[in-house]
Amino acid sequence: MPEATARLRPAPSPGSTGHFPASGEELATSRVRVLSVLVEDGQNTLTKIAGAVRRRGFHIRGLSIGPTREPGRSRITLEVDHGHAEADQVRKQLERLVDVVEVEDLTGDEVHNRELVVAKVKTLELARLIQRGAKVISTDTDGTTVEFSGDRDEIFDFVEELARHGIVDVVRSGPLVMRRTV
Amino acid sequence: MILEALEREGVEYIFGYPGGANLPIYQHLHEHPKLKHILVRHEQGAAHMADGYARACGRPGVVFATSGPGALNLVTGLCTAYMDSVPIIAITGQVNSTQVGRDAFQESDVIGATSSVTKHSYLVTKIDQLPRVIHEAFHIATTGRPGPVLIDICKDVQMADAERVTAERLHIPGYKLNGHIDLNHAKQAAEALAGAERPVILAGHGIILSHAEAQLQELAETAATPVGTTLLGIGGFPVKHPLSLHMTGFMGTGWCLKAVQNADVLMMVGMRVDDRVTAKLSEFAPNVKTFIHVDIDGSEMGKNVRPHIELVADAKQALAAMLPHIGTLQADRGRWLSQIDAWREEHPLRYKHSNGQLQPQDVLIDMYRRADSEAIVVADVGQNQIWAALWWNYDRPGLFINSGGAGTMGFALPAAIGAKFGRPELPVWCVAGEGGFVMTAQELSVAVEHQLDVKIVLLNNLSLGMVRQFQDDFYGGVRSQVDLTHMPDFVKLSEAYGMPALRVEKLEDIGLALDAAERTKGPFLIDFRIDPEANVYPIVPLGKGLGEFWEAPENA
Repeated sequence: MPEATARLRPAPSPGSTGHFPASGEELATSRVRVLSVLVEDGQNTLTKIAGAVRRRGFHIRGLSIGPTREPGRSRITLEVDHGHAEADQVRKQLERLVDVVEVEDLTGDEVHNRELVVAKVKTLELARLIQRGAKVISTDTDGTTVEFSGDRDEIFDFVEELARHGIVDVVRSGPLVMRRTV
Repeated sequence: MILEALEREGVEYIFGYPGGANLPIYQHLHEHPKLKHILVRHEQGAAHMADGYARACGRPGVVFATSGPGALNLVTGLCTAYMDSVPIIAITGQVNSTQVGRDAFQESDVIGATSSVTKHSYLVTKIDQLPRVIHEAFHIATTGRPGPVLIDICKDVQMADAERVTAERLHIPGYKLNGHIDLNHAKQAAEALAGAERPVILAGHGIILSHAEAQLQELAETAATPVGTTLLGIGGFPVKHPLSLHMTGFMGTGWCLKAVQNADVLMMVGMRVDDRVTAKLSEFAPNVKTFIHVDIDGSEMGKNVRPHIELVADAKQALAAMLPHIGTLQADRGRWLSQIDAWREEHPLRYKHSNGQLQPQDVLIDMYRRADSEAIVVADVGQNQIWAALWWNYDRPGLFINSGGAGTMGFALPAAIGAKFGRPELPVWCVAGEGGFVMTAQELSVAVEHQLDVKIVLLNNLSLGMVRQFQDDFYGGVRSQVDLTHMPDFVKLSEAYGMPALRVEKLEDIGLALDAAERTKGPFLIDFRIDPEANVYPIVPLGKGLGEFWEAPENA
């Protein structure tokens, strides 16, 4: 259990190379850019994006990918630590890729920022989780599975709360970010 | 269908090597007499030949290789072209599409291995993708900031029957060409340059790639502003022009470095501003109040130096847009230009030639005296490269070819062969050290087979000279693994390949040997035994600012 807790805790300081997405507070002061990337959905697209990020010395902290309304195009949401490079280098390096149609840097913008957590906890005592907005998906002999979605800070708090209930397993979707006004 | 598509794109030469996974292409090669195939002796040679061809004549170089080791042997050559923005189309065979991912014989993930050294790449698993892909590949390789594009084609696709397919329309919505110039920024840039007290222009490979040399010269003259070039920008501005600062960077001329370090406005055009140009970044051009950066690749803006005025555009269009705003120059440049002349006097290019040994500069000066600006020089990497850059006064683009960004040893011989195919009317000199030369010496067969007039000047110091110089000066004087005493007899080696060669050890024999090379039709090699202690100067010590350059010792 303590191990699981440690794994779930976000990176302690800006600039650390922790894999876990940062809390909202941490993000605001760190070198992490939030990018929404519209791509042509090719066999190598994701590899090329990941490769461009890696070889420029940047680091992916969060990632989600899904189809768009246009057939053949996907939207990738990225949280990237740009290290010692200038902040807008991440966007520029992604824009160079032929498969990338458009990159929007949403860092610091007014956005809807959501993430989904699915977790299985040992206890059947779920009042505090449900109070936060969690929904029960299934219950069986070794625990209860819940889902929860929220913004970055809500997810952060929810995961802290989960730890107190004895986590059996937990998965997170990565960030989904949309501008509030289009 | 692949070969038809290449004909349609106007391809004349293919540099390639057959193997299991591209045999279906080779089976039909003889049906396309317009496509001349040059059989290389190693795939790296093919990539460098295509590279030299493209740099010499401006058309994209085309490469064929088979799967696995064949394709992977291209990687260094692709990287060389990628770093220097050279258009190459590499067509590699891949195992059957049904076998991909099963570790089939000679299967390798070529797309994965080459992604970071290509501008773009395609894996073709279906015949109907092919016409579009080939057309797109040529478009992407040659437009915007050029670069190599790789097309990996499964063997079953090469064999598939297809109806005659014509080139399809391009479908590359993610491919952005920066054709739109911000005229406001162009005006600001022009005004900053015109109003400067001590302006300097630095010009890179982008000047040559966009054919902007005339605009650059006009702008420099109108704004009375001196121009230095990067190693790859050599030829973009005539070295003998009164406003020329010659080459910049950590092995640039003393008067250029002085000008850069004292400039108040610095305009950098068509260049990446890499570490070889800036030396210690925090001490680069410390007196500049306004940095202007012009480059077609927006990601270069602020990558190394944050410009105050940026112009993301083709160099030719950007300079043309700036010109009308220079107006009648108000500022007085007399003092600045005479200061630069004083630095030129004070810090001339010089070399020590009083020890009785053959100096590399002796050879290059004699070569230049003969060729003037009517020859192409293809240099390898190392001391030979910098000597060849500094001791010829290149007056136009395309005459000096070398591997700048990647610094690939072994580049010169195959690139010189490619350059000769691209510009058969010009003499081609290959200048190399013996270390780099043996890395791709097998391509001598190609020069002999096609009786190419490529003259090879080996500046042989029996060591890895540049590494030796660095060890002497920056690594405590410990000479480690730089001794190349055990090398083939290069005269016998050339003869074994079927070409004549001479060895020169004395100053007075230089002319005779060059005469013999010029008289001989076909390839010729001269093994010049140069002073093993000869060094490159000026040089900025590693980790120091540009202003701290060392100069050659004076002659006793």
